[in-house]
Amino acid sequence: MRVFIVRRVVVSFFIVLASTALMYVLVALSGNPLQDLLENNSPGREARIAARTQALNLDVPIPGRYLLWLQDVGQCLVPGGAQCTLGLDRQNRAVLPQLEVAIGSTLRLVIAATVLALLLGVVTGVVTALRQYSSFDYGVTFVAFLCFSLPVFWVSTLLKQYIAIDLNTWLRDPEMTYASIVLIGLVVGALWAVVIGGDRRRRLVVLAVATLATAGTLTVLLNSGWFQRPTFGILGVGVVSLVAAFLWSALFAGLRPRTRRVLYANLAAALAGTVLVAVAQPFMADMSWLTFAVLAVLVVAVAVAIGWALGGHTRRLSAQIAGVTGVTVVVLMSLDQLLRSYPTVYRKTGGRPIATTGSETPNLNGTFWETNLDLVLHLLLPTLAIMLISFASYTRYTRASMLDVMNQDYVRTARAKGLNERTVIVRHSFRNALIPLATLVAFDFAGVLGGAVVTETVFGWSGMGRLFTTGLQQIDPNPVMAFFLITAVATVLFNMIADIAYAFLDPRIRLR
Amino acid sequence: MNDRDPRSTEAPRIESDMAGLVAADTDVLEAAPTAQRSVAARSSAQTILLRFLRHRAAMSGLVVLSLIVLLAFSSIGFGPVPGWWGLDFRVPMPLEDGGRPTLQLWPFSLGAHPFGQDNIGRDYFALAMKGTQQSLIIAFLVGLVGTAVGTVIGACAGYFRGTTESVLMRMTDVIITIPLLAVAAVIAQISGGVGGVWGLGIFLGLVTWTGLARIVRGEFLSLREKEFVDAARSVGASSGRIIFRHILPNTIGVIIVAATLAMSSAILLESALSFLGFGVRPPATSLGQLINNYRSAMGPRPWLFWWPGLFIIAIALAVNFIGDGLRDAFDPRQDRAKA
Amino acid sequence: MTIHTPTTAGRRVREDLDPVLEVSGLGVDFRVEGEWVTASRDVSFRIMPGEVLALVGESGSGKSVSSMAILGLLPRNARVTGSAKVRGKELIGARPAALRAVRGNDVGLIFQEPMTALNPVLPVGFQVTEVLLSHQNISPEQARERAIELFRLVDLPNPEGRFDAYPHQLSGGQRQRVMIAMAIACDPVLLIADEPTTALDVTVQAEILDLLRDLHERLDSAILLITHDMGVVADLADDLVVMRDGAIVESGPIRKVFGHPEQTYTRDLLSAVPHLGAEIAAGTLQVSDRAEEPAPAVTPALDLRNLVIEYPGRGRTPAFRAVDDVSFSVAPGEVVGLVGESGSGKTTIGRAVVGLLPVTSGTVSIAGADIAGLSKRELKPLRRRSAIVFQDPAASLNPRMTIGESIGEPLLLHEGLRKAPLDRRVEELLDRVRLPHAYRNRYPHELSGGQRQRVGIARALSLGPELLVADEPTSALDVSVQAHVLELFKELQREQGFACLFISHDLAVVEILASRIAVLRNGKLVEIGSREGVLLNPTDPYTKRLIAAAPVPDPDEQESRRAARAIALAAGADADH
Repeated sequence: MRVFIVRRVVVSFFIVLASTALMYVLVALSGNPLQDLLENNSPGREARIAARTQALNLDVPIPGRYLLWLQDVGQCLVPGGAQCTLGLDRQNRAVLPQLEVAIGSTLRLVIAATVLALLLGVVTGVVTALRQYSSFDYGVTFVAFLCFSLPVFWVSTLLKQYIAIDLNTWLRDPEMTYASIVLIGLVVGALWAVVIGGDRRRRLVVLAVATLATAGTLTVLLNSGWFQRPTFGILGVGVVSLVAAFLWSALFAGLRPRTRRVLYANLAAALAGTVLVAVAQPFMADMSWLTFAVLAVLVVAVAVAIGWALGGHTRRLSAQIAGVTGVTVVVLMSLDQLLRSYPTVYRKTGGRPIATTGSETPNLNGTFWETNLDLVLHLLLPTLAIMLISFASYTRYTRASMLDVMNQDYVRTARAKGLNERTVIVRHSFRNALIPLATLVAFDFAGVLGGAVVTETVFGWSGMGRLFTTGLQQIDPNPVMAFFLITAVATVLFNMIADIAYAFLDPRIRLR
Repeated sequence: MNDRDPRSTEAPRIESDMAGLVAADTDVLEAAPTAQRSVAARSSAQTILLRFLRHRAAMSGLVVLSLIVLLAFSSIGFGPVPGWWGLDFRVPMPLEDGGRPTLQLWPFSLGAHPFGQDNIGRDYFALAMKGTQQSLIIAFLVGLVGTAVGTVIGACAGYFRGTTESVLMRMTDVIITIPLLAVAAVIAQISGGVGGVWGLGIFLGLVTWTGLARIVRGEFLSLREKEFVDAARSVGASSGRIIFRHILPNTIGVIIVAATLAMSSAILLESALSFLGFGVRPPATSLGQLINNYRSAMGPRPWLFWWPGLFIIAIALAVNFIGDGLRDAFDPRQDRAKA
Repeated sequence: MTIHTPTTAGRRVREDLDPVLEVSGLGVDFRVEGEWVTASRDVSFRIMPGEVLALVGESGSGKSVSSMAILGLLPRNARVTGSAKVRGKELIGARPAALRAVRGNDVGLIFQEPMTALNPVLPVGFQVTEVLLSHQNISPEQARERAIELFRLVDLPNPEGRFDAYPHQLSGGQRQRVMIAMAIACDPVLLIADEPTTALDVTVQAEILDLLRDLHERLDSAILLITHDMGVVADLADDLVVMRDGAIVESGPIRKVFGHPEQTYTRDLLSAVPHLGAEIAAGTLQVSDRAEEPAPAVTPALDLRNLVIEYPGRGRTPAFRAVDDVSFSVAPGEVVGLVGESGSGKTTIGRAVVGLLPVTSGTVSIAGADIAGLSKRELKPLRRRSAIVFQDPAASLNPRMTIGESIGEPLLLHEGLRKAPLDRRVEELLDRVRLPHAYRNRYPHELSGGQRQRVGIARALSLGPELLVADEPTSALDVSVQAHVLELFKELQREQGFACLFISHDLAVVEILASRIAVLRNGKLVEIGSREGVLLNPTDPYTKRLIAAAPVPDPDEQESRRAARAIALAAGADADH
């Protein structure tokens, strides 16, 4: 493992070196950086040309300029010594501070999109594989092809122009007609009906129950003014945690007499987590990442301990699932806190909480939760826009991989052993279906970064996309190269993680 | 257009029940052909065509794409050939009804400006048709050039192995670290001055071959180990003969599918580049360029934004469905046994 | 089933009890491209407690489909009709939960390919405990103990250590033992073994058959054995059901069916099976007096001297020596059988002889010319002296070339023949392998397996080679097809008089054709000699094991061979200690 990482780091170093060299030359060749000055006949033209030639080292041949850039990069690797700038742009400003500003928002966007697309895509893909040739399968297939065919910038503009504005207007005065409540209920109900499947009777029952539940919930939320002051409340966190604990136990352990203890242990873990969160309420108001992390680790650790202690014969499995339950409690608690800070953020953003420009509200001066809610609200639409293609990829790929695995001999063996469907699917099929996905994530990452360039332009983020496009338009290599440096390093890193994940999932692979 | 395009995965995608049946039992492997014996007289090309014709989504895609191509090239004409639509996309005209589209679906009538007019009064139908023509040309060129380059590189890497393969694969390693959109932007900026739309299409083709090269290489890697290739080698067939006469004909299905999907990706890539300002530059136009041009006018004149967008989606979707149908037709493992 | 005498102690078939499995009127159809295709119809048989029933047939006979249908393990596009009862419980159309309670608990399954039948990402021990935990109310610790006990029962070496091993870390035979342990975990009343030894080498096959017999006697569960191999049937089964094209042709006690088959199909099938020792006994091929080595005056058709072939290593994996210092020769017009198990290097030698693999050291002389280390260009004129027939007729013909193009390719490349002269030669070659001229314009997928192999032979003979390498040319074919292809091969060899290196894992097939036999093991030549010499009086212990392990399609003879083998093994074990 250690040998593998060292080898990969060395190989990756050379790959990054080669790719940056290639891109440097291409960028330098992509136009004449003096174009605008040559076309302009103002006095002092010569002096400005000289100044820019000086700033961009245009008197040095291109390979020489690349070496100079490498030297600037190299200075960042020397600890303490020379100053680290990643080169200067053509206005003689250091690139590094610009990058530092840009990188945070872009990585936030890219990682949020990748993680969300992965989670949603894998779940949808598995469900379509299990419901092969159903109307749900055909529907998702069509949606996936539509996603493949949507231009990112067009969708982004659309989201910005229509969704954001209309949603903001609606949020100002959240009301719905009974007709639209019923309609939403019916749509959600129909979705559940096709996902759960079964014979006609069962589908009708699911449709009715889900429609009623959705419409009912909506009515209650609307009438109680929930959309103005949303919250789960500690009671809500507790109830949802218990439901989640039940679901995780059912999914990963099954509800047979033998695994009954897993269920009890998980319910206890969910309860204990909720109690901890309730006790910690006073500390929530003023939190930092550190205190948040302490709390999160504490909740998960308590959950795992309870899972282990009450797990009986199945204590390993029980502790693992309890860990998942613990994480669920933390996520629910965070959601609750974010929702609670909504009224303040709503006020501070002037009543238009769904942001359409920039990556954060300037001068928000909010608490931990307010700042983060603001970031989330800014991320909402751009993330949605760039995750469409990834989501479609993961859906199709998971479906294909899952169908492939379910036709394998060992799945037939699992059935021949008399295992129940849940075990056959979760333990024998899904685990194997994940293996080829590990490589896809690494490949997809570069694509998402490309999408981010476009989305940032539409939403006016001053992220790395901006650094890249303005730099390229001005034939100013150093900011462009900062972009390439980050994408190259991120991609090789992701590739390495994917390989480790691959080896972790598949015991036949040995990392060397 | 990632290197690993999930629409064209080479992963064994056994989707059909027929495949399940083969996997389940060696007996049925022979049992299934008994059913096909009645159709054995059909040549494989005919079978493929038949499967494609039976693919509903692909056929609708084909119809939509043909209609769009016909509309785009017949309406405003192409080159010296005049079209049936009289208005020139370059000439501003007085605004009618604020430039709103005059297209009516029921009862159907085109009106003076079916797609409306832009802010200086140019006929938007003519502009959109011109943009569609250009985008189609670019997509086609990118597909053609990318496929040619990708096939040759993939074939060499897959067949010769050794140094050739490792050099080519290291090259791919380097290239995947760069987002395609970014390298395409740089390339487009270089080619922007050279040759306009045609130059852009060819240059973009030169950077979008990596996905196809991977797929072709994979096919070659598995086919070169087949016994029929050994049989040819054992009688002294040259490498050229083995590549072109023996292996390539067996990969043609995969290549056609990948080329189709590359074209749909090229449409999106071109539009994204033009949108960022690195693709087609004025006075030339394309669908992406149109959206970029009228982005600021979107509030007052939304149709300037909708028409080119809808055309991009329609073309890309149609091509994607055709690609899906071709894959199902070429790869019988994917044959959907619709019960 | 008629009553017959019990064969060995403990293998009593008790007619007074209820049958373990009773199948009646079972039919399976598959929906393929919108049409229903019948895979089996009206299949009826029953298995009594402690009985071993063999379901035999060639590919496409519906034997596997029928057995999978019993447990509802067919893909979704299958339709099953009729009835199948396990201990009186109806399984066809049963609820999923009821089926699950039977699978793995009352009925254990063993599949053909142990590599793909075991989940590659789970430890083998876990895969066994999983069955126990889902059917029995025991703790994981108890399940673990039981699994290790089962591993011991199936003679898996180091059972505790193997518990956490993954399937890829075990050998093929060990994997099949794990599979068997899994199948017998819940003491099933019936074991369904679907081609349990087909993917294994012959010596491993013998061990697994011994194990199955041993377990059968100890656990007293009935076995439904599905196989195409008459030797395996003769070794294990009490009763026999012969299937063809989805229907039962004949059934009865094994000795009756083997001794007095009533149906023509059964008779033909049995007579098509190569029988080790039968050729020698009949004395059909009068070559026993031939010299051990060809006379030095004649240039041998093939002469290997100190041949070494290595597959180069990659990175840290060292080079693998597939063939290690092998020397022998084949005289003009002589057929030499090259026998060995998987990994013995026999195919590697065959491919090196026709110039498909580089030789690391040593010489490969074909009719006097050494081809080792020659460049492509130097090699080309020599290529017409030798030709190869491959194992898999489906893979060895280019699917996008017509039969005529495939056969004509060597002529085109070496003699520059085109158009009419080429056509004439192709027709001649088609005549020689007894295929109609019209087949020239067909594509490989339009031909059956046997026809494809005839095309492969025609292509190999197109340039009139002095040496033909036949690499397992019949092992992918059904028994009856194999018999025809071997017959054709013998005739052609007699007519054309080419020398032949016949590579096979099957001693009985080699015996039919070869006058001398060479035995390879792990890349080394362990024995070479005349057919009679090697088969009747083997000197090398490995050859002895190989011959003893090959089952013969005759229950009585197989029983005595088994006894002899057991004695030899015991003696060998004593000698080792």
